[in-house]
Amino acid sequence: MGTSHSSHDAEASGSTQIASDETLRRLSMAVAGAFTLLVLAFLAILFLGAYIPVESFGEGFVDYSLLVQILTPPSGYYTAFLNVIGVVVVSAITSVIAGIFVGLGRVSKTPFTARISRAYVEFFRGTPLLFQLIAVYYGIPALFGTGNFPIQNFGWPAAVIGLTLNHAAYTGEAVRGGIESIPEGQMEAARTLGMGYVQSMREVILPQAWRNAVPAVGNDMIILVKDTSLLTVIAFPELISQWQYTYSNTFDAWTPLVVVGALYLLITVPLSSIVQRAGSVVETGDRR
Amino acid sequence: MSDRPHLLEFERVNKYFGETHVLKDIDLEVDEREVAVVIGPSGSGKSTLLRCTNRLEEIQSGEIRLDGTPITAPDADVDRLRQRIGMVFQSFNLFPHKTALGNVSLAPIEVKGIPESKARERARTLLERVGLGDQTDSYPSELSGGQQQRVAIARALAMDPEVMLFDEVTSALDPELVGEVLEVMHDLADEGMTMMVVTHEMGFAREVADTITLMADGELVERTPPEQFFDQPTTDRGQQFLSKLL
Repeated sequence: MGTSHSSHDAEASGSTQIASDETLRRLSMAVAGAFTLLVLAFLAILFLGAYIPVESFGEGFVDYSLLVQILTPPSGYYTAFLNVIGVVVVSAITSVIAGIFVGLGRVSKTPFTARISRAYVEFFRGTPLLFQLIAVYYGIPALFGTGNFPIQNFGWPAAVIGLTLNHAAYTGEAVRGGIESIPEGQMEAARTLGMGYVQSMREVILPQAWRNAVPAVGNDMIILVKDTSLLTVIAFPELISQWQYTYSNTFDAWTPLVVVGALYLLITVPLSSIVQRAGSVVETGDRR
Repeated sequence: MSDRPHLLEFERVNKYFGETHVLKDIDLEVDEREVAVVIGPSGSGKSTLLRCTNRLEEIQSGEIRLDGTPITAPDADVDRLRQRIGMVFQSFNLFPHKTALGNVSLAPIEVKGIPESKARERARTLLERVGLGDQTDSYPSELSGGQQQRVAIARALAMDPEVMLFDEVTSALDPELVGEVLEVMHDLADEGMTMMVVTHEMGFAREVADTITLMADGELVERTPPEQFFDQPTTDRGQQFLSKLL
């Protein structure tokens, strides 16, 4: 009772006493403007700091000769960038497929299947991806004994396995949410026509559930891109390990960091607009 | 009721939801070509009775048979039996991601393995039959409630069922759309379809029904021809129910 009362009060006072809509609008514009200025100032110092003609202004700004050097092909950054894209594409496909099965398992009427899927999700959401990657890359070969592990370049497979195990849990929950958002009557109508459970799922439930799951799955794919940064600990040649390489050779932190940041955004920004577009297609409905 | 063979038989059917006894020793036969209208106050078990008939709900004791085959036996081939029993729901339950034609042709293609072109042609015929020949490519969201329900009827008919179950199919409709759905059901009855109809439409019951079955509190109270039921119910419960309607 107390909480609902106070939240009601806050709402009332928010709209009547603190500020008018116009004042709020101006305030938000001021905050946004100040934030933009700060960011621009920071970027200006970062990129132009080396040219400020003041003695001992500082150092460690973007070094353009190094920038040109690390961006000149053949550059490890391009390889790393392509590696990231490659591992994301493969892991996205495998984790979505695995995730559909996890989601189906979560809504299964068979208690055993439902519990196993639940345990799977709890484990892979409940432990860090870093832990899982280490377990796969260092843990699995360790079980074979020193020198006996048959796979030579285990970095790639380990990356795909680790990312898939982890993201199948999240995708699975998105799929489960999608399935559970479909009214019970859809399954009943399909079954009433004589369609089996699998047929009904495939033809009636999943196509609808998938649309509802697309925004959540898309979000997870963006997280997947960023999660590739953790692959640096399993000696997968990706962007962070490139940064480390450059940094340890030059002790220049910002120049490679700027490159790395830009390359991540080069993947995530287009991906996010694709996800958004997919989401709006979902809302307006399919016109095959 | 007649010398026609029983198509559906309910024998001492009992159904519980937890502790609640929702169907009490139901005995009922529906003959071939019979239109059996089931009425009664809400919560009397009418819809549950229909849902047990195609095993959307399981019964706890008794037996339901379709043309002699026990539907409720544990080893019954439910998917196969359901093909022989059409069902139409109060809430239509059309597949929103498919057109009217897709809704009607899906199960024949998937379940009966009918070639797509043939199934679509048949679906077109069925949609014409329910007066929607010009809406074959419309999605459910583009149709009125009455149109959606007629698509749902066509969808059920596409499996060539031996009996059709109608579960309060006009209850979710705007009053002006009720007529078009009842008209389709009337035509079906005229063509000799065996139908079990749970409804609150007493006009329809009086006009189309061969028998009226009154249920109350999970029991089958009275089962009489409509003329008799509406003029002079044989039971007190029947009289009570009628008096509340007027």
